[in-house]
Amino acid sequence: MSDTHPANDSLNIWQELNYLAAMLWAILATSAQRQTWVRTVRSELVLQIYSSGVQAIRFVLYVSIAIGISVVAQSLVWMQKIGQPKLLGPLLVTVLIREAVPVLTNLLAIGRNGTTMTGELGQMSISGEIRVLDSQGLDPFIYLVLPRVLGLTISVFCLNLFFLIGSFVSGYLFSTLLTPQVGDAASFFQSILDSIDGLDLVNFLIKTLLPALFTGIICCHTGLSVRGSAAKLPAAIKRALANSVRALFLTSSLVSLLTYI
Amino acid sequence: MTIATDSREISTTSQRRQPRVILQNVSTDPDPNYDVPLWGISIRLQPGELLLVRLERGHLRTPLADLALGLIEPRQGRICFNGDDWQLLSAARAASLRGRCGRVFAEQGWCAGLSVNANICLAQQHHSMRPLAEIETEAAALARFFGLPGLPLGTPTQTRAGDLNRAALVRAFLGRPELIILEHPTRNLYPEIMPPLLNALRRARNKGTAVIWTTCDAEIWDEPAVNASQRGTMFGSRMQLIKKEN
Repeated sequence: MSDTHPANDSLNIWQELNYLAAMLWAILATSAQRQTWVRTVRSELVLQIYSSGVQAIRFVLYVSIAIGISVVAQSLVWMQKIGQPKLLGPLLVTVLIREAVPVLTNLLAIGRNGTTMTGELGQMSISGEIRVLDSQGLDPFIYLVLPRVLGLTISVFCLNLFFLIGSFVSGYLFSTLLTPQVGDAASFFQSILDSIDGLDLVNFLIKTLLPALFTGIICCHTGLSVRGSAAKLPAAIKRALANSVRALFLTSSLVSLLTYI
Repeated sequence: MTIATDSREISTTSQRRQPRVILQNVSTDPDPNYDVPLWGISIRLQPGELLLVRLERGHLRTPLADLALGLIEPRQGRICFNGDDWQLLSAARAASLRGRCGRVFAEQGWCAGLSVNANICLAQQHHSMRPLAEIETEAAALARFFGLPGLPLGTPTQTRAGDLNRAALVRAFLGRPELIILEHPTRNLYPEIMPPLLNALRRARNKGTAVIWTTCDAEIWDEPAVNASQRGTMFGSRMQLIKKEN
């Protein structure tokens, strides 16, 4: 049977899903143990949050302002056409909280941090640094993978909140420039809060956290799997990005289907 | 001396009866990471003993160190550290035991993303509750002992080869390890490094540390001051072992 046979593809996808599930379980179970969080692991977690979260705030805010303006401009035109400018808040909740923001922030994280993570771990693997750590009793899973995956997930969650705040504030300011019918800020934000129900929060949390966890796992695993020469790194990075994006959209669509249908 | 140090002394004394490292009829598969596989190797190293292994020229990378640390599985045979079979240990327990071992690596032994200073202190920070300042003080004292002006603060690529080799010795001896594996520890440093190295080894062995020292150099092999308890000569994949008579 050749490697390109459809049965082989299905088997590979099944194995990948199994691997993702096993790694996810291992990360959650290991992170729940107190003895995991020795100071070296804690400091790696802080570094990861700093590099993938804190350093990305400005970039995420730029994008969120642009998205807020464009989404509000489009929405406002349509709301005015049907004579319901007050429905802008609920529409923004549907578009931004339920769908756009979790996907966009995760995409930014994949592009910005997934590449770095795969490249860094791939380089460590090629140069034998993983074995050096292992020789000294630093389990690569606990010292390298766990803080990177959890750090990325925490960062994506926080960046999501920044994204939401940025897009809503920019959206409101832009809409007041376009039409006075939007009302004051308090009523605008109150209409947004009123439109959010419990299901939206669950949906938002799962769509934010699960793809970020998968991105971290895929990028770390792909990086650590690189063997041989540095020439194999670009291909590994490309593979990690493609798989992360695939996992992101698959998870988002599945969660949307399960939550709202 | 603190209570913690006293209890460690007692546990070290009680462990003296059982061998620190046992390799029982160990063979490995050919692996591109090593220059030669091992076949039918048996070693029994007691606390305080030193095994000096002379490698064939060009066979710098042997699986001996990785086997002793349980990093690779042998094709056949059994490897124990302090009575525990590496293959039967959980990942967490094995990692914890490796934290009690020091090593000078045959090849690249540094994390490029960390400074040499951080590299040296990393394992101690990970495995012990000692304050960082205390670890750095001990490391700085060892660094001066091995001829460095202090702990190297640059990254490994910014540090000279000789200083890196001295820093590797500092890392291997830091924190009273129970097993030290020295793979060509004198490279770039022979013969000036011999007096401090032999002094450090004598002190460590007196405290129960077992040592495995691999070398290709005839000068090291012929040096009586090394005072090896056992000597092994590699020929191909086999080892001829000679024990020193007491």
